[in-house]
Amino acid sequence: MSEGIPLFPLSFEVNGRAVELEIEPQESLAEVLRNRLNLTGTKVSCEVQVCGACTVLVDGLPVSACTFLAYEARNKKVLTIEGLAAPDGTLHPLQQAFVDESAFQCGFCTPGMILAARALLEERPLPTEEEIRASMDGNICRCTGYLPIVHAIQKAAQALRSRS
Amino acid sequence: MSEKKREFYVVNHSVPRGDGVAKVTGQAKYASDVVLPGMAYAKLLRSPYAHARILSIKVGEAEAQPGVFAVLTGDRLEGLNPYYGHAVKDHPVLAMGKVRYVGEPVVAVVAVDERTAFQALDHITVQYEEMPAVLSVEQALAKGAPILHERTFAAGGFRGFEADVSAGRGTNICQEAHVTWGDADKAFAEAAAVVEGEYYYPMAYAYAMEPYVCVAEVNESGVTCYSSCQHPFIVRHDVAGVFNLPVSKVRLVVPFVGGGYGSKSYTKIEPLTAACAWKARRPVKLQLSVEEAVLTTRSDDALVRERTAVDAQGKLLARQATIYLNTGAYAENSPLVCEKAANRAAGPYRIPNARIDCYGVYTNTAPASSFRGFGSAQVTLAAESQIDEIAEKIGQDPLAFRLANVAERGEVFFPKSRPLDGDLKSDLKKVADLLGWDKPLPKGKGRAVGCTASDAGAYPVTSAAVRVHGDGSVSVLTGSTELGQGSHTIVAQIAAEEIGVPFEKVRVVGSDTAITPFDRSTGASRTTTLMGRAVLEACQDAVSQMRAMAADVLRCPVEEVTLMRGGVQRGADRLDWSQVLARYFGLPDGEVLGRAYLRKAGDLSQLPVFWELGCLGVQVSVDEETGRVHLEKLAVVGDVGLAINPALAEGQDLGAATMGMGIGLYEELIYDGEQLVNNSLLDYRVPRFSDLPEELHLALTENQDGVGPYGAKGGGEGSLNPISSALVNALYRATGVRLRRVPLLPERVWRALRDARHGRESCPAPTKQDAKSRREAG
Amino acid sequence: MMPLRRFRIHQPGTIAEAAEMLAHFGESGRLYAGGTELLLAMKHDVLRFEHLVDVKTVPGLAGIEANGGWLRIGGVATHRSIEISPVVRQRLPLFAEMEAKVANGRVRATGTLAGNLCFAEPHSDPATLLLALEARVRVEGRSGPRTLTIQELIPGAYQTSLASDEILTAVEIPLPKNGQRASYLKFQVHERPTLGLALVMETQDRGQAIATARVAVGCVCPFPRRSRQAESLLVGDRPQVERNLSQAAEVLADEADLIDDLEGGADYKRHLISVFLKRAFACAFPGR
Repeated sequence: MSEGIPLFPLSFEVNGRAVELEIEPQESLAEVLRNRLNLTGTKVSCEVQVCGACTVLVDGLPVSACTFLAYEARNKKVLTIEGLAAPDGTLHPLQQAFVDESAFQCGFCTPGMILAARALLEERPLPTEEEIRASMDGNICRCTGYLPIVHAIQKAAQALRSRS
Repeated sequence: MSEKKREFYVVNHSVPRGDGVAKVTGQAKYASDVVLPGMAYAKLLRSPYAHARILSIKVGEAEAQPGVFAVLTGDRLEGLNPYYGHAVKDHPVLAMGKVRYVGEPVVAVVAVDERTAFQALDHITVQYEEMPAVLSVEQALAKGAPILHERTFAAGGFRGFEADVSAGRGTNICQEAHVTWGDADKAFAEAAAVVEGEYYYPMAYAYAMEPYVCVAEVNESGVTCYSSCQHPFIVRHDVAGVFNLPVSKVRLVVPFVGGGYGSKSYTKIEPLTAACAWKARRPVKLQLSVEEAVLTTRSDDALVRERTAVDAQGKLLARQATIYLNTGAYAENSPLVCEKAANRAAGPYRIPNARIDCYGVYTNTAPASSFRGFGSAQVTLAAESQIDEIAEKIGQDPLAFRLANVAERGEVFFPKSRPLDGDLKSDLKKVADLLGWDKPLPKGKGRAVGCTASDAGAYPVTSAAVRVHGDGSVSVLTGSTELGQGSHTIVAQIAAEEIGVPFEKVRVVGSDTAITPFDRSTGASRTTTLMGRAVLEACQDAVSQMRAMAADVLRCPVEEVTLMRGGVQRGADRLDWSQVLARYFGLPDGEVLGRAYLRKAGDLSQLPVFWELGCLGVQVSVDEETGRVHLEKLAVVGDVGLAINPALAEGQDLGAATMGMGIGLYEELIYDGEQLVNNSLLDYRVPRFSDLPEELHLALTENQDGVGPYGAKGGGEGSLNPISSALVNALYRATGVRLRRVPLLPERVWRALRDARHGRESCPAPTKQDAKSRREAG
Repeated sequence: MMPLRRFRIHQPGTIAEAAEMLAHFGESGRLYAGGTELLLAMKHDVLRFEHLVDVKTVPGLAGIEANGGWLRIGGVATHRSIEISPVVRQRLPLFAEMEAKVANGRVRATGTLAGNLCFAEPHSDPATLLLALEARVRVEGRSGPRTLTIQELIPGAYQTSLASDEILTAVEIPLPKNGQRASYLKFQVHERPTLGLALVMETQDRGQAIATARVAVGCVCPFPRRSRQAESLLVGDRPQVERNLSQAAEVLADEADLIDDLEGGADYKRHLISVFLKRAFACAFPGR
């Protein structure tokens, strides 16, 4: 249904794999990930860049995939929740800590929450509780009351530190 | 049901959730992730008017757009029964003849993708004739007010209570409920002290992060819907009614659900999505945005006029309340909210006299329905505020006053009901200890406690099936939906406990009405109690069958076969279940089907199924310059009988308290005239990381006093109900200023503090914003 | 889901080409940088454009540098790049701190400072602080370059004085001299601030006297405002200035065209200005 609007060739990397697609310019990264690449771990909720459910990392930085045009991902590296565990399926320490701490209930915010936490830990490997609250304040969880998420991030930070 | 606390293997342990890995890896599938081959997408054109006659709808140009498969309107539903509703059949699949609120769906376009459907909406012309609207309870009840629903209605099959349908009888009253005992008038006349006031609890939005979504398919085998719903069996009933099909021909499948909190209980967009699929002759997905979801369901806001009396000894003597709930344009589940609000208005106290009158009123606003707490949060703002007010009036400490008046364990404090099956008195003491009740506080800080008891569990009809497979693994078939509350984890724990297998060997097969046995609903905190018990009984049924099989293969009377964990023994012979089944069937994968049906009988014959208790304490600090109130300390005690999974039980308590705090401090949907103005997360402020209290205490009371498995009772709503009043009471203790409405927005608090300084009445003066929403308050 | 309507994206190689494109598309085209405001408005159908001209494809607009007494921030520099820029952190730390608190990390990673100014959303943090810092913007269109102050750039809510073919190529902020004391505070309930207040003072005598002062408020009014009269009350000996703060706040509020909206009534905002001017002043002189 492109009504004569030319398709845009998009080549980028998703979870370590090169992807080449033809997209329409107005397609959001969330649409492309979910509808074209079947990576439905990226959830769409508020659609106004408030909740963070659709957070994915583009060249390591968190973006709202619901509003970020897929066009902007050209020649960049995108990490979604599906790409976080090791190739053999071993969970990333953040994923493991979220399981261990029951840091989710419905799980709809969880992929975005974990990726936002991953961006935080890349920048500050051992964040204080204050820093966690401040940095994660742009991700909403409606179920947990946040405390178990703070605990999970602290636990993952420790695990990552002892691993390296 | 309750038995002495025994040694548990799996139950009463915080085992990691069964859905954990799926949810942290992005593999968990939600209804929004469902894609069917050949699936099309629907988009909705919504009403711009609050109340208007539909004169004409022109859709030809939209139908002609490339990629459009079908356009559905209210007058294109021939062959279907266009009205549904589990309580009152007042809800059309699409607006029929007139619209009743801004945002009501009028036309659905089905197209190859969402964008094409959305852009095709531009090509539809609807002509309306505007009608006068009622936007508040006050307007709706005024003499000569325009009437939303002119027809009378039959009661739906799942109303959940006895009272007559009020809707459609010439007024805008959708439902009324009246509760009386003793002689309230006489008691007030003889009281030693009385407090009275008017309280307003706001209209709120549950913000389940996954907005309503449904994928429907209609073909010769019937209707299949994949939906983000809480109550698939009731939705099945409604969809079967719309399509005139037997329930066996309607299948509701509920994958993981991205949050519910009551907002996904009962039928939402399933009939419309199925109608789109029927019209377009292909599977259709309808996924709403958050902004549309708010227009689908919000909570009832409530105006409560209440008074409370005590005698000369400081004992509660009487309570009287009149409650007006703003039900919005359609009944949804508001009739039950009305009933529950009336039941819960007096609070968990020993009160000899009470009169409660509650009215759910139609207005030309978005439909209201269930919301976590179910009327309790609305009425508790008034009820628990007045406990502090009357305690102060007679010079008593609010905690001491509560301890002197709260219902005792085993006491019948609400007529013709189950005696109190929890220990609120000790819970209150526990909370006070955790909070440091007697420690001095600096100026600008205040503490408060609060407690509630809700008649919970809904109507006790639930069934479950448990299959013990030939290799000793277990499948649990449950019609309870996994909303995040952890129901699938706890039923797996119960099955593992009862069959005697490791937790990892249990698979839970979730809600699919074609496969899983009937369960009335997943709400009213009933799943642990009722589904948990049904699963336990189904396991016992399976075990008893397997014991008989063991006797058969061991060629002895059943009495000689004794049960051990995971199998049986007779003398020196020990057989685990896989050995019993292999020998009985002579094949590797023979299996046993255990089943249980619960109904309102035996120890479930008395309602409520259980009293869900809420008990918490807060400490707030107030920035008197800006009016900002901050929750710095929170203590919650969950009186849950026995926590099947303590981590999950505490998680529910914190989650519910946080959600309640959101409404206490920030959340309020605002109507400016006919228009809902803050239905986006940009303007509707839900709790964030930065709102997390600096100090948090979560504790459980486990007296095994419930009718659920091992004496368990439900949780998950309790700590939401008393938090708004606790915040209000704590603010009062911090500043001497009492607000009788929430949220305690900084501006509202600042105005109240300013007015108090100027010696004015401490009720907040209406601001322009207040004026807008107060119109709704009546 | 709220899908975006179909549009085309154009990739100019130079400012001149971008200006030509914008002129050519007229009302059906719009300059596009981070898109954080624009795409939201388009999703909500408040704005419709068939053509977006992606200014990020013009090379050389992302730089951040300090030169000749000015901090120069390129037209496509993101909030994030400003927040972490060593130059900004060293030479104008207040600006980096303000940037670090704009919206959330996702918005900062994609949204640009110039885009924020050009959208002229009334609840912008940067515009208020830039106004008090007396920043200027460089603009280029088919008729050549020009320089505007923040007041000139933003005459109203969601309005700029840019011609439809003009592109904001850089924001330039005068670097503080020794003795500058400044603070930016905001008060926030919802996603966007209720109030932003910036106070910038040149002091003498080791902070004992204030030689010049600039104060700006935003969010409480349709676009950020300064008040010369209020600023004149903020000059002199520090104790005297401190006594004048309430009066200065009143004057500032009088001139600010305060609005009633979901964030609060005008009288509340007037009160907040007074509270936050005092807090900003205290903040500018820490450790007293």
